[in-house]
Amino acid sequence: MTARKARIAKTILSSTILVLLAVQAGTLVNAADERPCPAVLDSWAENFFATQVWPKVGEAECLKCHKQAGDAEDTRFVLHDLDLAKPDERMERMRINRDAFVRMARLKSDDQPVMLAKVAGGLDHGGDEVFKTDSTGYRILEQFVRQVNEPASAPSLKSVVDTNRPPFFDGVVMVDDRRLLRRALLSLAGRLPTDSELGTIANDGLQALPAILDSVMTEEPFYDRLREGFNDIFLTLGIDGNADATVLSYEHFEKTRLWYQRYDLSHVEDEKEQRQAGYKLANDYRAALLGEPMKLIEHIVRNDRPFTEIVTADYIMVSPYTARGYGIFDEVKDRFENSDDPFKYIPVRLKALVGRNKSENQESQTGFYPHAGLLSTFQYLSRYPTTETNRNRLRARMYYQHFLGVDVLELAARVSDAAAVTAKYEIPTMQASECVVCHKTLDPLAGLFQDYWRFEANFAIYGRRKEGWFTDMFAAGFEGEDLPADERWRALQWLGEQTAKDPRFAIAMTEHACYVLTGRRTLLPPKDIDDPLYDARRRGYLEQRREVEAIASHFAETGFDFKQVIKDWVMSDFYRADGLATAAGTPERLAELDDIGVTRMLSPEQLERKIAAVFGHPWGRLTDQTAMLYGGIDFKEVTERATDPSGAFGAIQRTLANDVACRNVALDFSRAPHQRILFPGIEPDVLPGATPESDEQIRRTIMHLHQRVLGQYDDLDSPEVDRTFELFAGIVADAANQGGFEQQEIWSCRQGLQKPVSDLHYTVRAWRAVITYLLRRQEFLYE
Amino acid sequence: MRRDFLKWCAYAGLGLATPFRFSRIARAEEKKELPAYEGPFYLVFNAAGGWDTTYLMDPKGIGGINRLYEKGDILTEGNHKFAPNAKHKEGGLSNEDFFAEFGNELLVFNGLDYSVNNHSPCSRYMATGKLDSLAYPTFAALVAACQGPACPLSFLTFGNYSATGNLVAMSRVPYLGSLQRIANADAIDGNERSPYHDKSALDRIEQALAKQNAARNAQPLLPRQERAENMLYAAQVNSKALARVTPHIPKDIPKQRLAQQAEIALASFKAGVCVSANLSIGQFDSHANNDKDQMKLIPELLEGIAYVLRRAEELQIRDKLVVIAQSEMGRTPTYNKGNGKDHWSIGSVMFLGPGIQGNRVIGATDEGQFAVPFDPQSLSTHAKDGIRIRPEHIHDALRQFAGIADHSYSQSFPLGTKVDEELKGFWT
Repeated sequence: MTARKARIAKTILSSTILVLLAVQAGTLVNAADERPCPAVLDSWAENFFATQVWPKVGEAECLKCHKQAGDAEDTRFVLHDLDLAKPDERMERMRINRDAFVRMARLKSDDQPVMLAKVAGGLDHGGDEVFKTDSTGYRILEQFVRQVNEPASAPSLKSVVDTNRPPFFDGVVMVDDRRLLRRALLSLAGRLPTDSELGTIANDGLQALPAILDSVMTEEPFYDRLREGFNDIFLTLGIDGNADATVLSYEHFEKTRLWYQRYDLSHVEDEKEQRQAGYKLANDYRAALLGEPMKLIEHIVRNDRPFTEIVTADYIMVSPYTARGYGIFDEVKDRFENSDDPFKYIPVRLKALVGRNKSENQESQTGFYPHAGLLSTFQYLSRYPTTETNRNRLRARMYYQHFLGVDVLELAARVSDAAAVTAKYEIPTMQASECVVCHKTLDPLAGLFQDYWRFEANFAIYGRRKEGWFTDMFAAGFEGEDLPADERWRALQWLGEQTAKDPRFAIAMTEHACYVLTGRRTLLPPKDIDDPLYDARRRGYLEQRREVEAIASHFAETGFDFKQVIKDWVMSDFYRADGLATAAGTPERLAELDDIGVTRMLSPEQLERKIAAVFGHPWGRLTDQTAMLYGGIDFKEVTERATDPSGAFGAIQRTLANDVACRNVALDFSRAPHQRILFPGIEPDVLPGATPESDEQIRRTIMHLHQRVLGQYDDLDSPEVDRTFELFAGIVADAANQGGFEQQEIWSCRQGLQKPVSDLHYTVRAWRAVITYLLRRQEFLYE
Repeated sequence: MRRDFLKWCAYAGLGLATPFRFSRIARAEEKKELPAYEGPFYLVFNAAGGWDTTYLMDPKGIGGINRLYEKGDILTEGNHKFAPNAKHKEGGLSNEDFFAEFGNELLVFNGLDYSVNNHSPCSRYMATGKLDSLAYPTFAALVAACQGPACPLSFLTFGNYSATGNLVAMSRVPYLGSLQRIANADAIDGNERSPYHDKSALDRIEQALAKQNAARNAQPLLPRQERAENMLYAAQVNSKALARVTPHIPKDIPKQRLAQQAEIALASFKAGVCVSANLSIGQFDSHANNDKDQMKLIPELLEGIAYVLRRAEELQIRDKLVVIAQSEMGRTPTYNKGNGKDHWSIGSVMFLGPGIQGNRVIGATDEGQFAVPFDPQSLSTHAKDGIRIRPEHIHDALRQFAGIADHSYSQSFPLGTKVDEELKGFWT
């Protein structure tokens, strides 16, 4: 067992038993004062708390308010949010939560359990009715209260979790090492493994993979993929308008942002060419500006810097072109290897902003702009702008989603009558408990962005509110901690520092890595507690969660080395799962395994890279409108990539398969045999059924094609090879039977050949059909 | 034909944790063309951002709620009451003209309670009928999955919340020209006279793919693998039916944004390759200058609806077209300092189509624009004992209306409404 495996196993083991052991261990403690509590639950009640009460009641409902900085933080019933705990603290906090529940379960008012009365909306419960008395949640709590108070008379609890169930990955088949290598390399670097890498894996097995990945993660295509993947998350390419206007504002960059309009292009004599050069200059400049945030991520990863710098970096990335826009080109030009390259970036600290009006000058105690990684970039602030009424809450929401992995609007609490609440309270967001539950977290964060209070990025992004920040919002801060007054000028830096220390940051980044690798987000806990498959879905969620936490923990231990996260995911069972040994027999098992395995439909960009890797050049048609039709995104209106193929996708796949085969089969035969990619060991005159040797030659070619196009290692006489052979032979036979065919490829498929290729026996077209067939397969179109 | 279609739909056993085997059935049918889906078709118009219902179907004109008209200016058309806006609109179709032309077919529900007033959860709630889950499909996706999962463009979306619950693939076709691109995929540049492969070769490719799909399905697969294998196979096989769309693509592309979306949807409906579509126009979020924005956008929305209905008439599918017009929230009864209106958790929804009795207004808001409790049994307001009608009640009624309430897909995404809260006789 590798060290990483051992660590994950240890985490899983400890997580699995933590909720059980935690409640078995020692005395009980009140959540408020954490004094020892004399009662000890029996093991069944402990199990019941861990598997039913906590996930279905405590975590799902109570924790919304009954936590530090929550709306009910001043009550006696305050719980710990386990997401905020470090792994080694988790067990203790769970124990404290359990004790708080026990203590509450014992409280009575008029001989009725307070806990039950409260959740039903009685006894002035601030959160009103949480559960109806005939709901599953209420019944769970009722059972728990009875068990705590009258353990002897309480009915025996239904067995809720089968403690003898097999390990989660039992019966799941892992992908073989060669295919894992191919999957990872195509994903990360858009290329196939080299013979040397395949040899290493063949000799040394899976343990050799991390070192190969270390090497792959120095290649340029890896950084292209890294930027692409993170842009899908941060969407900073989706800024409205021209970047020279919406990133660099008139107020602070008036004299420099349009530098390209004054750039001397007189050396281009032809008027039309000069105009074109001017367009290119402007377009490159704008693209370079848009590229800066993702270049920051690239810089951090490429230089093995702590990934926390995405929120703490005291610099931005600028290129020779964007440096001109900021007005700092002369200061930094000597640091550029090529000052004419618009897309070579260096890290730079900007000076504090100087406005056209003195009132718009930026306050700074150091004289520098208080950079806070991505958070303070003009691109991020422009992509997620504020409005007069929104008051930076969009930015706060995106911050939580991007950097802590919390979607504050994911499961908005239902308000009994939001309209009435709005009308009843002068400041609902500070007074109405239904509103406070979210705004108490969100609004302080919004306050940290208060110095970026301008509504038209073209005119300004930085700028303070004249009247001071809003007093009808919770004061600026983070998770219950107020922003110190003397930190205000660098509020986002302060936020970045808090973020880097927050355990959710490592989790969120680990989840982002998972998204980059698999194209989908990690699982959310199931919410429907009445779902008969709830426990199975919960297990699926918890197993993945444990993997996320183990990888995140390793991420933190390695000083936030993002490459380590990538390697850990690739090595994980979740990435390697590739099938089942036997069919899953029950709906419960199917529900557990529902999200297991990569099985990702490739995006237009990934598919083009894969075609390039397999055929030596991309198709080139999965762009613009076709890319959008094929599930691409524009980073603005369409921000979620399609994950399942519609008929439109099916049509594009057929066109792609037809056309890529058309462009490559005759072309490959026109090359010298040793230069061929697809058909190095066969000629068009080798016919099926002619001799045993010719059939074997065809089969070996098919094996080669399966390996190259599909990544499959099939045997000569395997059913897979049989099927492809049958296709090839059938088409050749059909042609022979029908006769009268042209003895060369169709016109469109014989363009650009290195030398003429005849097709006397229809074999070239039959091989083209084989390639078409392979390109339409899931093994090619999916990851 | 209908039976054939349903059989094909069954082949595309998509989604959920227990997809059934589909390839072995499909293999026997692979040479048959996908039968056309013949309706009903569902179009959901989304006024994204939050429309001001008091400037449309729920007029007030009192208490400073509206600055452009007084209570006495409110107009009627049959049983409908609506705000006058012919003098204030900027382009598009006035309320006056809209209700005059379509009021007799129009069912309005006022006093819908969204419970919350943030865009994201409200959009999700209104689109799916479920507030607290990210997993639920929108109605448009659900009805497409139930009634036409095999259709190559079964569920079209042009924006707004469009989750599918993994039941059906969503299609985004941004431009009319895009439809042309995906027709005739087996011909060079879409020219039917220039096929890539001889017919016999293409048939053999399809047979090989069918066998390979069957072989894959015979292996024990992870749920995601099985789902992907079947969805991919269905997408490719059924995409051939897209060739039927070509004759219905108009030569002249309309300029209005909703009309452009509508033409794509209507051509797809007419070709029998689509069940439902989400149409969307944004910018209703009028926090500043509410009246100016709403006077531009409401007429634009109504013009879009009218365009669809008139074009559907020309295409002879009007009698199969169900239209739903909705927004994720309403606007406050008061103006803010910027002459705008903020989010309001009470709103309205409109329906029109076959099986829907028009000239009706159900539900109400009071003079303060608060929802009046409602008795779902009598379909009348009942301030004392009524309930708050929320999106799940509307979606429950929609599922009943579409005949999919008992479908296993619908059962997999229960709305949790009680039997005595069902909107009895809502549609007729």
